[in-house]
Amino acid sequence: MPDIDVNAPGTTVLWMGNEGIARGALEAGVGFASAYPGTPSSEILPAIAEVAKRMGIYAEWAVNEMVAMESATAASLAGIRSIAIMKQNGVNVVSDFLANLVMRGIGKGLVLICADDPGPHNSSNEQDTRPVAKWLDIPLLEPGDFQEAKDMTKWLFDLAEEINTICMLRTVGKIAHTRGNIKLGELPVVEHKAHFAASYGFRGAGPHAELHKKLAKAQEKFESSPFNLYIGPDKAELLIIACGASWLYSQEAVRLMNLQDKVGLLKMGTIYPLPEKFMEKHLKKASKVLFVEEVHPFVEQGVMELVGTLPPSGPHPVFYGKRSGHIPAYGDLDPSVVIKAINSIMGLNYQTRDAEYDKKVKALAQSYVTARSGTLCPGCPHKASHWAIHRALQLTGHEGFGTSDIGCYGGGGVGSFGITKTHFCMGGGIGVANGFGKLGRFGFDQPVVAFCGDSTFYHAAIPGLIDAVYNGSNVLMVIFDNSATSMTGFQPHPGTGRNAMGEPAATVSIEAVCKAIGAQVVICDPFELKKTTDTLVDMIENKTGVRVVIMDRECELIRARREEPPYRVYVDPEKCLGEDCGCDMFCNRVFLCTGLTWNRQTGKAEIDDVICAGCGVCVDVCPHGAIIKEPYTAKGKEKVAVKGKEKLKEVAAR
Amino acid sequence: MERRGAATAVEVKASKELFKEIINAGLCSLCGGCSGSCPYLVSYKGRVILMDNCNLADGQCHEYCWRTYSDLDALNQKVFGVPYGESEMGVFKEVFLARSKDPDIRRRSQDGGTVTTLLTVALAEKMIDAVVETKLDADKRPHGFLARSKKEILECAGASYEPSPVLETLNHLPKDSTDKLGFVGVPCQVSCLRKMQLNPPRNRVNVDNVKLVIGLFCGWTLAQGFHEFMKEHFDLSNAIKFDVPHSPFHTYDVYTESGKQSVELEDIRSYINTACSYCFDMTAEFADISVGSGRTAFKGWNTVVVRNKTGAKLVEKAKAKGALETQAIPEESITNLKRASLGKKKRTLENLIALSGSKKDLGYLDVSQDFITRFLS
Ligand SMILES: Cc1cc2nc3c(=O)[nH]c(=O)nc-3n(C[C@H](O)[C@H](O)[C@H](O)COP(=O)(O)OP(=O)(O)OC[C@H]3O[C@@H](n4cnc5c(N)ncnc54)[C@H](O)[C@@H]3O)c2cc1C
Ligand code: SF4
Ligand code: SF4
Ligand code: SF4
Repeated sequence: MPDIDVNAPGTTVLWMGNEGIARGALEAGVGFASAYPGTPSSEILPAIAEVAKRMGIYAEWAVNEMVAMESATAASLAGIRSIAIMKQNGVNVVSDFLANLVMRGIGKGLVLICADDPGPHNSSNEQDTRPVAKWLDIPLLEPGDFQEAKDMTKWLFDLAEEINTICMLRTVGKIAHTRGNIKLGELPVVEHKAHFAASYGFRGAGPHAELHKKLAKAQEKFESSPFNLYIGPDKAELLIIACGASWLYSQEAVRLMNLQDKVGLLKMGTIYPLPEKFMEKHLKKASKVLFVEEVHPFVEQGVMELVGTLPPSGPHPVFYGKRSGHIPAYGDLDPSVVIKAINSIMGLNYQTRDAEYDKKVKALAQSYVTARSGTLCPGCPHKASHWAIHRALQLTGHEGFGTSDIGCYGGGGVGSFGITKTHFCMGGGIGVANGFGKLGRFGFDQPVVAFCGDSTFYHAAIPGLIDAVYNGSNVLMVIFDNSATSMTGFQPHPGTGRNAMGEPAATVSIEAVCKAIGAQVVICDPFELKKTTDTLVDMIENKTGVRVVIMDRECELIRARREEPPYRVYVDPEKCLGEDCGCDMFCNRVFLCTGLTWNRQTGKAEIDDVICAGCGVCVDVCPHGAIIKEPYTAKGKEKVAVKGKEKLKEVAAR
Repeated sequence: MERRGAATAVEVKASKELFKEIINAGLCSLCGGCSGSCPYLVSYKGRVILMDNCNLADGQCHEYCWRTYSDLDALNQKVFGVPYGESEMGVFKEVFLARSKDPDIRRRSQDGGTVTTLLTVALAEKMIDAVVETKLDADKRPHGFLARSKKEILECAGASYEPSPVLETLNHLPKDSTDKLGFVGVPCQVSCLRKMQLNPPRNRVNVDNVKLVIGLFCGWTLAQGFHEFMKEHFDLSNAIKFDVPHSPFHTYDVYTESGKQSVELEDIRSYINTACSYCFDMTAEFADISVGSGRTAFKGWNTVVVRNKTGAKLVEKAKAKGALETQAIPEESITNLKRASLGKKKRTLENLIALSGSKKDLGYLDVSQDFITRFLS
């Protein structure tokens, strides 16, 4: 991660969009930054936190997005420019707070950064947060490249202050995580001093009417914003209106198709409220308009709405986009999607790529990767926990199942042996399980296990747990405590004893919280498969009420950064049954650790020394004692690893 | 005798069919023969559970289940050297009454303590090194147990009327174990064991290590929620013995230190394992020696059926050591025993016919049409 406080105005750097946003905040003189990790937003806060002390600012990981937003608001009210950063789901969490905040106004510049994940590639849902700005009545910008990621962020602080309302920036994964040129600006020297002005509160009789006035002011500014621009002929056959990463795809498509003379490109950066006069002027450029944007037809609908209010002056252009089916309203886009749409609208037949060549490339690429379904990292403690939960549910019967929230442990079907059946949101595991647990009175007798992460516990699980105790629910909650927010990049949380700026911090004990709420709590080491399974069976069969099992094992990726693996693990091919009755490739087919591989020649399992984390859990999974573990020693490393291979050669030779 | 014979013996099936044809069809007696031999099948609290999907098409789990086709002639040939005779109670040399001479064993045992006595003698005489039999856990549920000493054998004395997956314990033994084993089981368990011995399984302990098979007479077991019923109605933590006394009594008795509690048999009939109504064997016809109760006429004694040399030799040893006393059994008792055994066969035939809807299709059971006509009349 680059030091984003490099003081070199005018220099061009190659940075990620997220780093650009962080820099933009610094250039705006931000003093307070709060966030909850969520891909693709996760790199912004660490970039700020890294330089926070040097810059005399404060950066933190909040327990959830609402707390982040509330804290940032307080700082704004106390006269400090503040930023709250989150992914799309976070905005849902904050929405009630925001819907009230907009009725009041802010202090110093307050900016909400929301990174959406079209695809989705790293999210439980695909969601376009832009409509949120519309129903909140707040100004919304969307950067079309990396430079804009920085510049827009910076400018939004000014705008927010000027019109006295929170402003929002929406980015998407491909801007957030891709690197591009960014020309740096000045870094202001700000001495932050916090003081709350007691005059703050309800202003005027109609805060909502006031808000509309603020929005009108923003719209006026957008009419001449440099974030909106047109490239192309004065009269075009087709006008493409694009925003965000789609702007890059559209430019590429037009360039590849050599249509610069025929197709005009209108890039919109200020997308809510749309600058009406600016739009009206450009809509006249062509009789056909194609909208290219990711996920929801937000600009598309905005323009249609606008056209409906224009005075009648002949037929309006023909609109193409999501409504017409030329651009999908889900998934992320790429240049080939735009090319296909242009082909169809303009009756062209541009080939994005030779079909034969395409096939060959795909085949070649596939030959380099092992075919396998989604699973967890080698040595992942969640794998062991899932194993135990799965077995416990199979043993206790009655069609037991799991309800999960969001994190690696939720891992969907395969990663969790297909246990988790619902997978909604942070806190949704305990929330939904808590509901099932109240249905005993209607004959419900299926065991339900709520999946919850450690970071998620602090984020959103506590109210569900309290409700379960209060309303007498019958529920078992498993907390996968791996001492990190692993899915988003190992950010610290209130259980880790460290804060975002790398300083020691107070720890909040999950166990103590659960006990204080009134749950029965047991702590397990998931690597002890049998003991953990027995504990879970006991919890399911013999206990009722609110029960919590904490799976206490550090994330393997964190452990591996610190120390050597605990074991060297290999398969004894003479003991391995392979595909024969009595095993049927159990380790490779059912347990599915990526460190386990299959030797097709010998029909035996093997351990991939490069991938194996040396946790030794599969040793207890193999029904025939064919997987052997020996204490890891740097010296014995080579010898032991070779042992399995040599034996395998012998077996193969027979 | 016309039977289907070996042609039908080669069924290529595995766990999927085991569940479809046997377990989910209500034909599983919970003997444990399929479980414990691989990571997929587990016996737990009166259920056989498929923990994960096995995708083999040809599996030993299906092959050894006594509820899939068995070549009765080959089985009988293997144990007694003659084809299956389609008689009332299988091949036997002798029937008599017996009981332990040790009052302590008698006190702890179900009836006369003959089984416990024979096992301790076999162990002392080094005929066996250990016994796979049944023990109750703290919850009073039966499960398989490997008893290695007289003390451990004594801990297994007494009967549970719930099915015990005793064969799972055999399947769990280390593959390379060379212990000579004794085995105690009800008729279905004995059949399953003999099926394994006829065509020894791969990847498990050598079944020919089993040197002594003691069969128990059995009418039925109580399953499908019976344990929960007992938990509700009796103080199981203090239970020391369960019994179903022979007629004229019609009760199920639970003994505790402070006395006996009973329920009417009629009230628990619904818990009789449905699988038992398709069982053809009351006297463990493939055991070396079969042991049942002395019935009401000889309470505290056992009815003993010695079937082959192994059984005869052991009884001789036990008598010679003064561990076992015997007495002749009245002809009338033998007639009653045969009648009871025949009654079970007849009911099973009727039930199997009702299940398939045809006299020609008896499912797993391969007996001749001649036999069917003879026994149904
Ligand atoms: C389910 C069941 C039904 C029976 N039905 C009849 C019947 O209808 N008529 C009849 O005459 N006799 C029946 N018996 C046999 C009888 O109850 C005695 O087990 C037998 O007489 C031996 O008595 P014993 O004193 O020698 O036994 P003990 O010396 O007390 O030894 C008992 C042996 O039985 C084993 N055992 C206990 N419970 C089970 C079980 N559930 N499954 C398998 N093995 C077990 C123990 O491991 C031990 O080895 C039945 C037994 C069982 C287990
Ligand atoms: S290593 Fe063990 S689990 Fe894996 S295939 Fe071999 S015997 Fe089966
Ligand atoms: S491994 Fe063999 S015994 Fe086990 S379920 Fe599969 S086929 Fe049946
Ligand atoms: S009868 Fe025995 S072998 Fe057959 S399914 Fe039941 S437990 Fe398994």
